[in-house]
Amino acid sequence: MNTSLFDLIRRRPVLLDGAMGTELMARGLGLGVPPELWNEDRPDVVREVHAAYFAAGSDVVSTNSFGGTPLKLAAHGLEARAYALNRAAARLAREAAPPGRYVAGSMGPTGKFLEPQGPATVAELTAAYAEQARALAEGGVDVLIVETQYDLREALAALEGARRVSPLPVFVTMTFSAFPRGYFTIMGDSPAAAAAALEKAGASAVGANCMLTSEQMAGCIRALKAATTLPVIAQANAGQPVARPDGTVGYTQSLEEFVRFVPDIVEGGARLIGGCCGTTPAYIRAMARAVNRKEEA
Amino acid sequence: MTKDEIYPKMSEAIVAGDRAAARALAEEAVRSGFDLPEVVEKGYVPGLQKVGELWESGEYFLPELITSAEAMKSAMAVLDPHFNRRDLAGQMGGKVVIGTVEGDIHDIGKNLVSSMLQAGGFEVFDLGADVKLERFIETAESVGARLICLSALLTTTMMNQRRFIGLLRDKGLRDKYKVLVGGAPASRKWAEEIGADGYAENAVAAVKLAKSLAGRS
Repeated sequence: MNTSLFDLIRRRPVLLDGAMGTELMARGLGLGVPPELWNEDRPDVVREVHAAYFAAGSDVVSTNSFGGTPLKLAAHGLEARAYALNRAAARLAREAAPPGRYVAGSMGPTGKFLEPQGPATVAELTAAYAEQARALAEGGVDVLIVETQYDLREALAALEGARRVSPLPVFVTMTFSAFPRGYFTIMGDSPAAAAAALEKAGASAVGANCMLTSEQMAGCIRALKAATTLPVIAQANAGQPVARPDGTVGYTQSLEEFVRFVPDIVEGGARLIGGCCGTTPAYIRAMARAVNRKEEA
Repeated sequence: MTKDEIYPKMSEAIVAGDRAAARALAEEAVRSGFDLPEVVEKGYVPGLQKVGELWESGEYFLPELITSAEAMKSAMAVLDPHFNRRDLAGQMGGKVVIGTVEGDIHDIGKNLVSSMLQAGGFEVFDLGADVKLERFIETAESVGARLICLSALLTTTMMNQRRFIGLLRDKGLRDKYKVLVGGAPASRKWAEEIGADGYAENAVAAVKLAKSLAGRS
C-alpha cells in the first residue's frame, strides 16, 4: 500500500486534506474541548469530516490526533487515554477511506520547549511521540505525519520516536514564518537546514505547513526543494484569521485567492499539497481542479 | 571596573544571553556601591534594546530572546534586594496581570511575553493558561495592577478577548485598566475592533507597548 502511495507521488501531485479542528467546531465541538476526545465520544462526526475530504478529492487524510501526544493531552488530564484516543483516530480515518486512498497519522507539537529554553528533554519528547506513533500504527495508518513543528530538535525527536516503534514512512512538516531575512521557524531553523537534517534522519517526505499564505508558501517550498531529494509537502493557511462583524472568524485569503497560487506551489516542487488553518473540503475540491487543469494543459 | 568599563560589559552579557556574567557584573556593581537604578538604565537596558533590534532585523530568534531575558532576570535578582522603595518606583514599570484566556491551553507565546516583561522591569502576575476571565479582574484588583495582557492562540478563543472587554465594561472597570491582546490570530485591527488598548505582534513589541502605556518611554 505504501509503495503505491509513493508511486502516486511520482506520477502526479497528491492531494492531502485541510483543517480538522474547525470542521469539528462547526459540528459542535466546544471551546477548550480537545478534539481527540471526539474519536471516542463522537466517532460518527470525525468519520464524516474525513469522508467529506475524501469526497472533495483528498488522496490522503490526516487523523484527528494533532494534539494527541501524551504530553499535550496531559494539559487536559487525558494522558492516560493517549493510546486509546490515537488508535481510535487511526481507525476512524481508515473506516472513512475508500479503496486506494490513504491515511496519515497526525502528530503535532507537544507544546513544551526543549532545554535550555524550557524544561523538556529530547528523551522525554522522543518517548511521547513513540507512544503516539505506536497507537496510530496499530490503528492502521499508512504513514505517520509529524506536523507544524517549530523546533527542528523536536521534529527530529518525533521522527526518532516514530521510527523506534514502527517501520511506517514518516512525513515531517515544519512551520516557517516570513522573517526579514527569509523563511525561518520561530526557533531560527531555515527550510534548507530543516530539510537536509530531516532527510538525513530518515524522513520519507518533508514540507511546510500553517502560518504562511499560499502565496508565501510557494517561495518557502522552493527553498525546501533546493535542499532535499525527498517529496515535498505544502499545506498553507488560508491567510490570516480575522474577526468578522458577526463575531465569527474568517481568513484573509478567499478560496479563489488561495487556489490561485496552487499551481505555483506545485511548480516550486511540492508533490503533496493540502491546506491548514482556514481551509475546508471546498478548498480541496478547488485545488483538485486547479491541479488537474494544470496536468491537462 | 569603572562605570564606563562595566556598563558595556553588562550590555554584552544580555546580548550574549550569558547569565553567569550578567549576575557577576551585578554583584560587582553592588559591591562597588554604584547607583543601581543607573546601572540598570545604562548597563543592562541597552543590552535588552539591542536584543530587540536583533530580533526585529531577523538576526535573533526565540532561543536567543529567551536566554537574553533569563540573563536580564538573573541580573535583576541580584539588584532587586538593594533597591530602596523610591528607586523601585522610578525603575519598575508597574504591575501586570497576564495569562492565556479560558478554553486555550497554549502558553509558549504568553510565557515569552511574561518573561520579557519581567526582564523589562515589570512586576508580572502570570496566571498561566486556560484562565477564567473573572480571575484576570480579581487578580488585577487585588494586587493593584493597571495592565492586563490576554493571550489567545486559537481563532475560537480569541473571542474571549472581546468578551473580556465587555466584562470589564459590565463591572464599570473599563477605564481603570489598560488591556493588551496578543496571540497568533490577534492583530492591530482586532484590538481596535474589540476596544482593547493595544496589540503587540511579538514579545519585544509587547514590552515596548507596555512601557508606553505605563508612561515609561
